[in-house]
Amino acid sequence: MSVRFTNVVKRYGATPAVAGISFIVESGTLVTLLGPSGCGKTTTLRMIAGLELPSEGRIEIAGRDVTNLSATERDVSMVFQSYALFPHMSVLENVAYGLRRSGVAGAEATQRALEGLAQVGLEGYGQRQPSELSGGQQQRVAVARALVLKPSVLLFDEPLSNLDARLRRQMREEIRELQQRLSLTVVYVTHDQQEAMAVSDRIIVMNAGRIEQEGSPRDLYERPATPFLARFMGESNPAKGQVRRLDRARVIVRLGSTEIEVGDSSAKEGAATVAVRPEAITVEAAPGPANALPGTIAKASYLGTHMEYSIDTAAGTLFATCPRVERPLPVGASVALVLAPRGVIVVGV
Amino acid sequence: MNGRAALLWSLAGLLGAMALPWYALQEGLGTGAWLSGLWSSEDYADGVAQMAVHGRWWLAPVFAALLWCLVIAVLPLKAERRGMLLAGGAAAGIVLFGLQAFAVGLRGWTAGWLVALFGEMEQHQVGIGAGATLVLTALLSLLAIGLALRGAFGGDGFVAGAMTAVTASILLFTAWPILHILAQAFQNGDGAWQPLLAVQRLAEAKIWSLRCLWGGGGCGVFWNTLVLALCCGIGSTALGLAFALIATRTDFRFKKTLRVLTVLPIITPPFVIGLALILVFGRSGLVNQFLDWGFGVASTRWIYGFPGVFLAQLFAFTPVAFLVLIGVVEGVSPTLEEASQTLRANRWDTFVTVSLPLMRPGLANAFLVGFIESIADFGNPIVLGGDFGVLSTEIYFAVVGAQLDYGRAAALALVLLSLALGAFFLQRLVVGTRSYATISGKGDSGLPTPLPKAARRAAQWVALPWAGFTMILYGFVFVGGFVKIWGRDYTPTLGHYAKAFAIERTPEGLIWSGAAWNSFWTTVELAAIAAPITAGLGLLAAWLMVRQRFAGRGALEFATMLSFAVPGTVIGVAYVFAFNVPPLEITGTAMIIVLCFVFRNMTVGLRAGMAAMSQIDRSLDEASATLRGRAPQTLFYVVMPLLRPAIVGALVYGFVRAVTTVSAVVFLVTAEYDLATTYIILRVINGDYGLAIAYSCALIVLMLAAIVLIQLLVGSRRLGRRAPLIQGVRA
Repeated sequence: MSVRFTNVVKRYGATPAVAGISFIVESGTLVTLLGPSGCGKTTTLRMIAGLELPSEGRIEIAGRDVTNLSATERDVSMVFQSYALFPHMSVLENVAYGLRRSGVAGAEATQRALEGLAQVGLEGYGQRQPSELSGGQQQRVAVARALVLKPSVLLFDEPLSNLDARLRRQMREEIRELQQRLSLTVVYVTHDQQEAMAVSDRIIVMNAGRIEQEGSPRDLYERPATPFLARFMGESNPAKGQVRRLDRARVIVRLGSTEIEVGDSSAKEGAATVAVRPEAITVEAAPGPANALPGTIAKASYLGTHMEYSIDTAAGTLFATCPRVERPLPVGASVALVLAPRGVIVVGV
Repeated sequence: MNGRAALLWSLAGLLGAMALPWYALQEGLGTGAWLSGLWSSEDYADGVAQMAVHGRWWLAPVFAALLWCLVIAVLPLKAERRGMLLAGGAAAGIVLFGLQAFAVGLRGWTAGWLVALFGEMEQHQVGIGAGATLVLTALLSLLAIGLALRGAFGGDGFVAGAMTAVTASILLFTAWPILHILAQAFQNGDGAWQPLLAVQRLAEAKIWSLRCLWGGGGCGVFWNTLVLALCCGIGSTALGLAFALIATRTDFRFKKTLRVLTVLPIITPPFVIGLALILVFGRSGLVNQFLDWGFGVASTRWIYGFPGVFLAQLFAFTPVAFLVLIGVVEGVSPTLEEASQTLRANRWDTFVTVSLPLMRPGLANAFLVGFIESIADFGNPIVLGGDFGVLSTEIYFAVVGAQLDYGRAAALALVLLSLALGAFFLQRLVVGTRSYATISGKGDSGLPTPLPKAARRAAQWVALPWAGFTMILYGFVFVGGFVKIWGRDYTPTLGHYAKAFAIERTPEGLIWSGAAWNSFWTTVELAAIAAPITAGLGLLAAWLMVRQRFAGRGALEFATMLSFAVPGTVIGVAYVFAFNVPPLEITGTAMIIVLCFVFRNMTVGLRAGMAAMSQIDRSLDEASATLRGRAPQTLFYVVMPLLRPAIVGALVYGFVRAVTTVSAVVFLVTAEYDLATTYIILRVINGDYGLAIAYSCALIVLMLAAIVLIQLLVGSRRLGRRAPLIQGVRA
């Protein structure tokens, strides 16, 4: 594996920013650290880079203990949120900077920097100043600058947060494509759950300095372990329900007047917090099918591709999306909600 | 990497102990005479020989610590363990070094209880020399490397080393002398501890007397100083504000000229204004002569005393207040003023209720600068004060006069220091922790509101005559150098310049026969040595303080501020006291003058550096670090090119202040190392105005040349088209 954290703690004064985390990043994979701001994900990334040293614990990169080594002495490089392109150097000088500092001779450094620029599709931009490039191009220069060093681990710190929505989608696809083509080991930090799901092999979700859950994007979305995760990975409605076990593999979740059979082997019997995905709710005009949950529309908004409803029910106010935009339901209308089992998740007591 | 550095420094330390004279040599290292006596001569011997042959056994533990570090550096140990053992050994070595250096002085043991403990000592030791300095440096470096190996300072040996060097030098050359002089106030002439003596010295009538209030003699120097400083602070702030408002909020046509006027005093030795006032208002000055000639009014000496000193300081320090205030006035957000106007406030209301309160931190700052400059000023009171004594002149006379009472000087310095610190904390209190920042990252599209008519008139009526008068004064200074005897004989002459700067062509070559050449070249040389060190140390400290997180950051910042807030007179006396006995015996050398320049003027480089550095996105440094740029490379390739304006500023300031400073160095100069300013002051005291003026003009020209040269050497910052990118794109 490429990166191994063992019980790493980072304190600023008395408050821990990272409160004891352990994880492994396998070679050739893209692992995302995901979490709300202040969860410790950026601190964790900076500890991999060597920009912060841990207060406790052990960090290994490519099998070497680097716990107290400075950033310069580690085989990593990083793409910064602000890109951090040196404003007094040309694009080519920026990309060649790391090579020159590692002792690569001038001509070879230039050659490799040009190759790096070609890799990110910026041939011919070498003599420009960074300020003469667009945001997306600056981003690519930053990636090229980190790439040419062929580091064991490449780090991205919220690389897309300064781009507009359209460019963000394009750049994340490019980063993923580049990572797979060169089979790079990448650790990627973001607070955007969609971005994380789009680029990652594995996601480590952090909250308040701890790892909340880690797994593949599908694992995390479909089987969130805690109410926090259910809220954070996509939209979900928290609701109070009752769990009753049928047999080893199946349980029944009771929400208000409706009962849904869920294939969750780990849920305990009794009162439980249940997360309901908005897209798993089908909104029908009352009275609807037999096992439906009755409710009243409290708010309705038209968003072009779909409708969004807030619906008062016996299980609480539920937020639902509905692709049928041609016949919107008015506020105050009585409806019946049908819940799809894959969108009803028992997340704890 | 840190491991190899540890080995090299251990070896360097041992080299210092075995190949260089341990103690300071009278004649310096240059002669090479010490080479033959490195083992046998008691004066020239290296540290190991001093210990082995000359019976100075107390040096042994220091060498043991060095050997320990060498062994640790060679043994195959894990990084963390090596770091701990290295740091421990080096720290012990430093402590032992300090203990022996302070315990054994010129006459054996320095304290009675040491004699009681160890018995009388035959030996003695003088100030440390090259060998001891190298050993101490090596131990400090080893401590830094040890700490870095344990993961302190981001595990970076260079940062740890820089940190240790800056901290150690600030402790040694700022904190130690100042604490030392404060202690002196509580000691008698022999250094014995007598707290009551301080009370006695501080209670003197000459300091506190209020007799002037009910007629019958002058007031105490404390009241003189305080009243003068208050007047000067308020006056220069008011004038500075008037100038700043005119420059930013009116369509006044000669704004550029105003800016030039503000630069002049910075490159003018502080007492030149005093000289000019004498030329105009003195007994043989123009005004008195005119009154005498026209109306038969006998000339008076009114300019000598409070009015003269106050006027001179007002002229000298108003530009500084202007410089402080213009940034603040420009920083007041026009949008806030526009908001006020849309809320039914007229221009005057807006000015009084919005603009002025927003300028409060600037006003407080300007007042503080005027206040502290005034109490620290030595040149103007000595030239114009007459019987009107202030603390700084009183300290001078206590040290150099017939009194020769160091304890009294120390007590007076204590009073001066408390005044300065009092003002400092008062300012903190006034400005408080409220945020007045009105420059945000968002663009401000508002237009500055023009001044209300009444305020504009007032500002112009005060400021413009004042500016005109300043120009007249400078004009007189310039002309004064070219007439025979001001007031009596206005025949044009080059005599003063010839007397000061004559160069004679003789068969043996050129002879620099002018009276001023000696002090002139000393000044140029020492200022040229001091300026780069000042700028380098200041900017390095700034980099550490902005970019590194470490315990004691606040304390270190305060210590650097201390040398700035402490009046120069106090610093000068402190240096004399702290460094005229072993272990650091450098009084009377050029080194002490350079050190004084460096640590007195470093603060400005530090402040400018910190301001500039905090505008450069930290991620640029970090990017360099992750791109294999080690800390020194990051400094050289990334930080320095972006800091060029701050570097120019720090260099210029370091040079100019070194050339113009009087109060701090007046105690440090010797016949061998006389400086331009102290030379001029003596000429003025002797009434030789012509020469003094000519010399001052030459200094102004010198400094202008230096500024141009520095600008050319350092060059300007090359940035892309869009300058704001330097702040990074991070929101």
